[in-house]
Amino acid sequence: MLNSLMILAAEAETQHQVVTPFEEALLAGLVFVIMFGLGSGLTPKDFKLALRRPQGLIIGWLTQFGIMPLVAYLLIVTLLFQDAIPREYAIPVALGALLMGAVPAGTTSNIFTYFSKGNLALSVVMTTNATLWAILMTPLALLFYGGLLAANNPDLEIPIRNIVLTLAILLVPVMFGMLIRRYSPNTGALLELMGGFFGLFFIVFLMVTWVPRNWNLLTSTPWQVYAVSIGLGLFGITIAYIIAKLIRVHPANARTIALETGIQNGPLAIAIITVTFSGSPALGEIMLVPAMYSLFIVIVSTIVTIFFRRANIAAEQKIPNLL
Amino acid sequence: MTPNPWTKHYPSEVSPELEPVSIRHLPDLIKESSQKYAKTTAFTQVMPNGMNGSLSYEQIDAYSNDFAAYLRDVLGLSQGARVAVQMPNCLAYPIVAFGVLKAGCVLVNTNPLYTAPEMIHQYSDSGAETLVVMDIFADRLEEVISKTGIKAVVTVKISEFFPRIVGGVIRGVQRYWSKTLPKITVEHTSFQTALAQGKDKKSPTSAEGYVDGITSESLAAIQYTGGTTGVSKGAMLSHGNLVYNTLQMISHCGTGMRQGVEVVLTALPLYHIFAFTVNLLGFYHVGARNILVPTPRPPSNLKRAFENYKITWLSGVNTLFNALLNERWFTESPPKHLRASAAGGMALQASVAERWREVTGTPIVEGYGLTESSPVLTFNPLTGMAKDGSIGIPVPSTEVRCVDESGTEVAIGEPGEIVARGPQIMLGYWQRPEDTRDTLRDGWLHTGDIAKMDSDGYFTIVDRKKDMILVSGFNVYPNEVEEQIAAVPGVLEVGVIGVADDRSGEKVQAYVVTTLQAPTADQILAHCRENLAAYKIPQSISFVDELPKSPIGKILRRELRDNVVSAISTEKGA
Repeated sequence: MLNSLMILAAEAETQHQVVTPFEEALLAGLVFVIMFGLGSGLTPKDFKLALRRPQGLIIGWLTQFGIMPLVAYLLIVTLLFQDAIPREYAIPVALGALLMGAVPAGTTSNIFTYFSKGNLALSVVMTTNATLWAILMTPLALLFYGGLLAANNPDLEIPIRNIVLTLAILLVPVMFGMLIRRYSPNTGALLELMGGFFGLFFIVFLMVTWVPRNWNLLTSTPWQVYAVSIGLGLFGITIAYIIAKLIRVHPANARTIALETGIQNGPLAIAIITVTFSGSPALGEIMLVPAMYSLFIVIVSTIVTIFFRRANIAAEQKIPNLL
Repeated sequence: MTPNPWTKHYPSEVSPELEPVSIRHLPDLIKESSQKYAKTTAFTQVMPNGMNGSLSYEQIDAYSNDFAAYLRDVLGLSQGARVAVQMPNCLAYPIVAFGVLKAGCVLVNTNPLYTAPEMIHQYSDSGAETLVVMDIFADRLEEVISKTGIKAVVTVKISEFFPRIVGGVIRGVQRYWSKTLPKITVEHTSFQTALAQGKDKKSPTSAEGYVDGITSESLAAIQYTGGTTGVSKGAMLSHGNLVYNTLQMISHCGTGMRQGVEVVLTALPLYHIFAFTVNLLGFYHVGARNILVPTPRPPSNLKRAFENYKITWLSGVNTLFNALLNERWFTESPPKHLRASAAGGMALQASVAERWREVTGTPIVEGYGLTESSPVLTFNPLTGMAKDGSIGIPVPSTEVRCVDESGTEVAIGEPGEIVARGPQIMLGYWQRPEDTRDTLRDGWLHTGDIAKMDSDGYFTIVDRKKDMILVSGFNVYPNEVEEQIAAVPGVLEVGVIGVADDRSGEKVQAYVVTTLQAPTADQILAHCRENLAAYKIPQSISFVDELPKSPIGKILRRELRDNVVSAISTEKGA
């Protein structure tokens, strides 16, 4: 039954492109703006600090690059690499899932942190820090877990060089953003704000164009892929929250660390895939988890935010923060 | 004993007595620097995300003239009318404050976080006729206006004078995102409309007319105080009080405050007397650029200001310096251009002062003052000998003594109540002759603070008279205990109070906020045992998430005590 569904899905896919050239261009532009915005919040000092960052932020760093790739790996092994799912389908999907787990946090986490009455400043610092570290940590995580997976699946290949290259190219808009901020803090702040909003825009865009066009693909996707896409964010948030609670950080910071860990940079993962796997016949499958993750993380984060807000006692924040 | 032993410790360029000045009133003082530094940037307001707006000395001068004209010729206020001003630090603040003074009216600074009953008390007590308020705080107006004599309301935006697009974005965020703009149900005029109307009415000679008859004795501001001690009273500060205190402070800093080059970070609220005199009046007078931060909490709100501007001066309270020292971005790259920091408002803890010097490599000097003294009474000299843990020596033209209950000066090194005399001492409390008589006796301001003077004439605060804890007949000063607890690694903030005890009359109780690496109560007690006499050691230590604080960040022991009392009565009631 499932196998026939697979074939159906494969057929549906050949009839049209999973990602159109227009979407590719739009995506590239979007990621550029997001990275531009990120850079607009930085000074050269931040790079220096990120490189010699001691304890404190290590928590965030560990959850970011420790928990998420591990969660992705475990989900792949327990759900995807099962007999029920043909291996030639599971491998590209797993590749996308692993990449989704290995990319840094996204700017969307800042928005949910804001609504959860978390520590917005901490969220921004963690996103920034994770993004700067990503150039090293994302390939390392991919190599490590990719290696583990490849031991049983010789077909699995991760084009590390291309991924590193893509990450490096993405630093260009970051540098531009920094330059702009240096000469006009106002423009910098505007760009930074825009970057955050574009992250949300990306998800809306996905919902209104990509989902209907790929409806067949989505309906024929096995439940395990859904479980991976939803579980990645949900488990990431839960585990990070439990750890933060165990080491007794301030409740506002615990909420921040949880959201920051679970919410990944979806647009970045998709951009890496479109650049790196452009023209590959498996592009659709690789794209599956990142695209679905990006959709479901909005729902997951919203539910978590409602939960956090309910748990949050008004007394935690007595002084109104102006803007 | 030689009178005024401190005079020999003034730096060479500081004269013990101020030269007589020709400045009659605050508008004169403001005019001087407005003309001298016309094209220089006077104020820059920085939002937590780095968005900013600026105004030059010339613009501040012109707009405040417009606002004065609005008050006098559009609203028809008379000289001496009280104008309440309720807003956080923003570009509109100096325009409004200077405008009120230039109009010959009386400034009533109001804490924006006040609740409706507090606002009603302050507006009725001062008899304010006009209110200038930031729109985000206008939700309480309907309730307040009907119960006070306020006849006109002017509303100010946080983004006033920002570049158009940036201002629009901030507005949009406030309206649709953070939803912090309440619907204003009372009749009001927007700030820009008020300025435009004032400009239309203004004639070239009107400005002189508004202050005709205003002398250094005339009332300039009613500054409410007593938030930390009880019912709020209005200290009447004259034009002379504020002009002199500004000049005393500048003179005392000597070459530490350079003309036309300083960049001062104003994180403390300007509606508070410390920032009002030191940052607004003082640094405006020396032609500095004032970086205004609407709210310093959380301390990360100051990050962009430190990154984007070459801050040379910082004024603050212990809580602020301590908070910054607990921010990694601050300690890892401390401000490069900083030259000096001034601490006041509450005791500067030695552990904080030491770390501040270590991290920033610049001096931090502690001073002392009260709302009733405009506020500066003493400061450690910036150049020359500064004594840690002391509040320094009196500023020029100021006499300070420590006296006993009978009013006789105590011996050197003995604790006594601080009394002070000088041109900065208030006229009295607004409509409270009894309180005035209690506080101002024979021209001396009785501060209610206990201090000791050493042979060099340096004063050291022991504590507030009212905060003193009496344990089995022994005096315990909370400051001393707090100082020790604050030195324990992992302690972020501490408040010590006395609570009633059947056995010893009162017992010492400590409330501690910790960092992530929290010490245990036993570790804190062990440290206390090593450094304090047995009767001073806290009987209990409570770990809390937050301590009650005043608007400038002073830890409110009175509220701690009230909380304890209410907790006990709830227990008993249950």
